[in-house]
Amino acid sequence: MIINGVIIDDTFAEAFPMKATRIIITAIDLKWANRAANSIRGFASSVIACGIEADIERELSPSETPDGRPGISVMIFAMSTKELEKQVPTRVGQTVMTTATAACFAGIDSDEKISLGKNLRFFGDGYQISKVINNRRYWRIPVLHGEFICEETTGVTSAIGGGNFLVLSKTAQHALIACEKAIEEIHKVPGVITAFPGGVVGSGSKVGSKYDFLTASTNEAYCPTLKGQVDSKLTSDIGSVLEIVIDGLDEEAINKAMRVGIEAVCSFGSQNGIYRISAGNYGGSLGAYHFHLRTILA
Amino acid sequence: MTPLTFELKINPGFPLDISPLIPDLLSTQSKIQIKSIPITHNKEKIPAAELFTITGNDHKNICIHSNNGKLYNVGQKMSFGTIEVKGDVGDFLGQEMQGGYIKVHGNARAWAGCSMTGGRIDIAGDTGDHAGAGIPGDAHGMSKGMIYISGNAGDRVGDRMRRGIIIIGGKAGNYCGSRMYAGTIIVLDKTGKYAGVAMKRGTIILAKKPAHIYATFESCGIQEMEFLRLLFTQLSAMGKEFSIFGKFRPEAHRYSGDHSRNGKGEILIL
Repeated sequence: MIINGVIIDDTFAEAFPMKATRIIITAIDLKWANRAANSIRGFASSVIACGIEADIERELSPSETPDGRPGISVMIFAMSTKELEKQVPTRVGQTVMTTATAACFAGIDSDEKISLGKNLRFFGDGYQISKVINNRRYWRIPVLHGEFICEETTGVTSAIGGGNFLVLSKTAQHALIACEKAIEEIHKVPGVITAFPGGVVGSGSKVGSKYDFLTASTNEAYCPTLKGQVDSKLTSDIGSVLEIVIDGLDEEAINKAMRVGIEAVCSFGSQNGIYRISAGNYGGSLGAYHFHLRTILA
Repeated sequence: MTPLTFELKINPGFPLDISPLIPDLLSTQSKIQIKSIPITHNKEKIPAAELFTITGNDHKNICIHSNNGKLYNVGQKMSFGTIEVKGDVGDFLGQEMQGGYIKVHGNARAWAGCSMTGGRIDIAGDTGDHAGAGIPGDAHGMSKGMIYISGNAGDRVGDRMRRGIIIIGGKAGNYCGSRMYAGTIIVLDKTGKYAGVAMKRGTIILAKKPAHIYATFESCGIQEMEFLRLLFTQLSAMGKEFSIFGKFRPEAHRYSGDHSRNGKGEILIL
């Protein structure tokens, strides 16, 4: 398959089941809500070492938030509910609660829940107040800026992590321009995030390493500087490879995000240095979800 | 389907205990069985059909026509469905109610919503004393749910209340929120004396400054409170009857108290 001169490899992205939650962060204005959201998604690019993968889903208008203030929707993915339970309250406590005027609410309703304000309330040192409004429990924690309002729990849902595609190009600059456009399009799809910095992975990995203590290491088959040295998947014209990794709430969301992302990249065409689109997989034996590039784009 | 309708056809000399007329019990019974349900009237038990004209076929949604306030225990212990009362009701409206919705188009007497644990009660008129309170012997008053009184309320609204929200569109009597454990009471008109006396926790929100604040409350100053913003946003989204909350600013003069107990309650004057 060739789109606008860009070769689409006959391969697939291999993705895994994950657990996800969504939180809504509000503040006095969007600028401060963004500061809180950016803090909580810091160091949350990959579960390999961060524990979670998190990113801003979208901005929310005051009419979409529980307290009528501007807000940000943040989605957080982990390999298990237990890991979410460990990471989310800690991160909310250290980043959202410490952001001036911020408040934090659940963004997903489900039977399976993890703590949000349930444990953070103890920061109130006995002066915290519980309020139940519309069958939802909120905690009012007295803090220096006034009160930190935090919903007691947030819902957890099954999700998918690791949808991806590789952009093989002439130079890193060519790939980056195309990837930025792709990320812009992917962010319009509800229910997906791209957790890596700027949504783009500059150092895609393979599972395992020659070193026993490493669970992931550089994907040498796609490293342009190793073309003559290893069993490379790159042709001589390719000077850079960037990866876009997508986590989503369901297969449909990831399918759509991959499609709009690849189409955006292909719109630059081979004349602008974009030569091939491929995807990362482990032979199909590890991941429960396979996203075939040519099927997605058909 | 039309609501199962009970139209009072006599003028009873004594209060009528209509606690059996709730969706929980009626939804499993046939019309014939419903007509023979014994209703307590003074020392007698009279079949429902002798007191009411019974029509309709939706046993989960009940409509009661009453021309006086002699029906008591309306909606007692109901857990689902709706009861609509066209007229006044007597004491113990929605006592120990667990869920569902009660709408009274007239007035309710004392103990409306006392010890309720869920659901919502709307009273278009006034209500007597002890709305949302706990009856003597109960550990506490209402512990969940919502009571909305469009008119005025009597004394001791929410006395020993544990959780839930009471909204009073009109005035509240003396001892509003006395001995509260927790929960929220909102009064949009004037309030009598001794609001919040002996409250342990909980929030009393007064739209008008009361003439009297009990001596064991301390001023915390005027504050912009995110909790009020959340509460008002959530309430105004619940229905047009609460659209007024969209006009309130989240700013209040906060008094903490009652410091004769642990002082963790609050009166917020908007």
